[in-house]
Amino acid sequence: MMSKTMIEAKNITKHFERKIALSSLSFSIKQGELVALIGPSGAGKTTLLNSIAGLVPLRSGQLLLDSLPLEDYKRGKKFAKKIGVIRQQFDLIGPLAVIHNVLAGKLSEWGLIKSLFSLLIPQEKELALTALERVGLRDKAYEITTTLSGGEQQRVAMARLMVQNPEIILADEPVASLDPARADDVLAMLTKIVLEEKQTLIASLHSVEYARKYFTRIISLKNGEIFFDLPTEKVSDELLKELYQLKEQD
Amino acid sequence: MMKISLSLQLHKRFILSLLLLAVFIWSLTSIHWNSELFHAGGIPTILQIVEGLIKPNFEPSILLAGLESAWTTLAYAVAGMSLAIVYAFIVGVLASGTLTTRKFSRIISKVFFRGILGFTRSIHELIWAWLFVAAVGLSPYAAILALAIPYGGILGRIFADMLNDVPGEPIIAIKAAGSSRLQMLFYGYLPLVWADFISYTMYRFECAIRSSAIMSFVGLGGLGFQIQLALADLKYDAVWTFVFFLIALVICVDGWSHLVRKGLTDHKRKKGLGSGWISVLFATLLIAGSWIYITIGENARLFELLSEKNMEYAKTFFGGLLGINQDDSAFLDVESWVHALKLTFETLEMSIMAIGFATIVAFLTVIPAARNIANGNLTLKKNWYNLPLFGFIRLLYIFSRSVPELVWAMMIIFIFKPGLLPGALALALHNFGILGKLWAEVVEDMDPRPIRNLAAAGASRIEIFFYGILPIVLPRFLTYILYRWEVIMRTTIVVGFVGAGGLGMDFKLAMSYFDYTQITLLLLCYMILVIIADFASETTRKAVK
Repeated sequence: MMSKTMIEAKNITKHFERKIALSSLSFSIKQGELVALIGPSGAGKTTLLNSIAGLVPLRSGQLLLDSLPLEDYKRGKKFAKKIGVIRQQFDLIGPLAVIHNVLAGKLSEWGLIKSLFSLLIPQEKELALTALERVGLRDKAYEITTTLSGGEQQRVAMARLMVQNPEIILADEPVASLDPARADDVLAMLTKIVLEEKQTLIASLHSVEYARKYFTRIISLKNGEIFFDLPTEKVSDELLKELYQLKEQD
Repeated sequence: MMKISLSLQLHKRFILSLLLLAVFIWSLTSIHWNSELFHAGGIPTILQIVEGLIKPNFEPSILLAGLESAWTTLAYAVAGMSLAIVYAFIVGVLASGTLTTRKFSRIISKVFFRGILGFTRSIHELIWAWLFVAAVGLSPYAAILALAIPYGGILGRIFADMLNDVPGEPIIAIKAAGSSRLQMLFYGYLPLVWADFISYTMYRFECAIRSSAIMSFVGLGGLGFQIQLALADLKYDAVWTFVFFLIALVICVDGWSHLVRKGLTDHKRKKGLGSGWISVLFATLLIAGSWIYITIGENARLFELLSEKNMEYAKTFFGGLLGINQDDSAFLDVESWVHALKLTFETLEMSIMAIGFATIVAFLTVIPAARNIANGNLTLKKNWYNLPLFGFIRLLYIFSRSVPELVWAMMIIFIFKPGLLPGALALALHNFGILGKLWAEVVEDMDPRPIRNLAAAGASRIEIFFYGILPIVLPRFLTYILYRWEVIMRTTIVVGFVGAGGLGMDFKLAMSYFDYTQITLLLLCYMILVIIADFASETTRKAVK
């Protein structure tokens, strides 16, 4: 069976004031793909992810999510089921207990009363605990999130994504502030979950090594353009060298 | 040209400090410095007051009266604060614009609700009290509402600022998970700010105790009332007894708020009944007790406030303020404006003098008052006198800030003749303790490494101060000076009530003669001052950054 196209970008362009952030990008990503986004700082990786997440408006071009234009999705439940985002560890609410941060993935489905009540007595607790179990943090469910280490916090963010259960996961530098051992740990867990749930993953990474180790396809950006878009096994050292070359050496 | 602008940039803070110093010296010229400043009997009065301080009156009847009025003061403060929190929460959230999605409606809601908060906090609680008493008579609610309105304004503004300063990433993440605006508020914004908000509220609660004490000066009960009575009878020993009650109350609240803040910063969760829950329980009991006391003990009914008679009074009063049915409104008269603006100018001078005096005293005392200098941690030097000196100055600070400006003014007015100087001194006496405490905390929070490095390199204490400590703390010191100056500006009118010059004195006269339009005129001038102070300090603060 042919897997369906989850994301299709047609000539998308984005400017910040006069600077070009994304210059006419086109690509398509199928369900189940694990795509790594690499490239030098300022190449437009974060901007591209934010565009797909609908957080920044495009200047021109079209983005299709599951063959529907991005604009047709309203914020809320339907969109939350389509796309979920994970970033560096800074995107959890620090003073809340871990379990509430995990259950925040359910907010799109809950009404206000239920979500307020849940702050007193956690609702759908089993769901959250199962998710925490899978990231190995079940025993920390009732601890204050800021007391957890960086790697643990990133795993809490993953548990939240599992509860939200979107079809596409966008990960923006998910391991940027972690040491190599924790980073390996987090990426292995993330890709395993994505494969099990038949989700689609796009992750921006600063490390080529991780991109090769965990992902099936690599898209590289340079100065807002696609430099190469290849299956992982076809990415050569020469190409990578050229990608990260500084301008002065051109 | 480049060189000049470069050196201007480099010495910006130094030049600014010189400028502020020059303004202070200029303000001193408004006083005629001669023996005419004192009352003939000023010196003997000082001796009597000091005698009372050394030998306060501890008769059982006085102690009992002190205890009872301390409770009244506390109850009014608690009730007022509880209303203020409700007001601050609702209006603060609206003023932060976190609930609105569209840019346009967000700007509208920000401007509108921030305007409301700004207006309510620009008028001093004592003036609110006076207005309420004039409008609805002597009811505890006059005191409670008078506290709740300006304190709610201050809390609400800080709350809105906190909500606006929340880090963006967690909020975007919650939004990306598909939550609604209200869910974002309860799962994102509130958990992120509540610890800071509670800390700030506790700090404000301490101020509310002092404000509540001075509510007595418009005829509402409490510690201030007892102080006022004792002063009128020239019983200085009893005056100090009540002042000590007030200080004790402030210290208790300060201690509690210290505990709460410490509990909030330590993230560790303990099993069982932690200090946090005890505080919550205590606060609940305190709030319930205060309201029960006020509604049952003092037999005050909220609906009585809205009785027909009161509505009639209020209508006359506020109508009078607007100049309805009056032939010659003071605020339409050029001569009245000239006179009022002259008073405004004097008040401005008084506030500058006050912050100047306070700054000088705090500057001279702050170094030994910092804990890390007293125990030698910062400078790696320690003398036997450091710790006693530290204790003494800290005690002085507590003493200074626990006594409200108004009480200081009432005592000083026995020594000095009415005018700007006693007002400035009273304000300075209250503020140097606050300034000193805030500054000492800045020094305590400093990164000790650069200073230790200097000390290890053999720098003397004076050298360490000018090369290490001052450059690091100066911006924060300046910020606090300006912040206190804003507060002093709001309070100038209050010390005027007891004859310490400026707008306040005329305000009291106008109140006594029911000269409504004159009141309006003076209030307008006062608000001009507050706006000037806000603007000037905001600009200077930006320049220091």
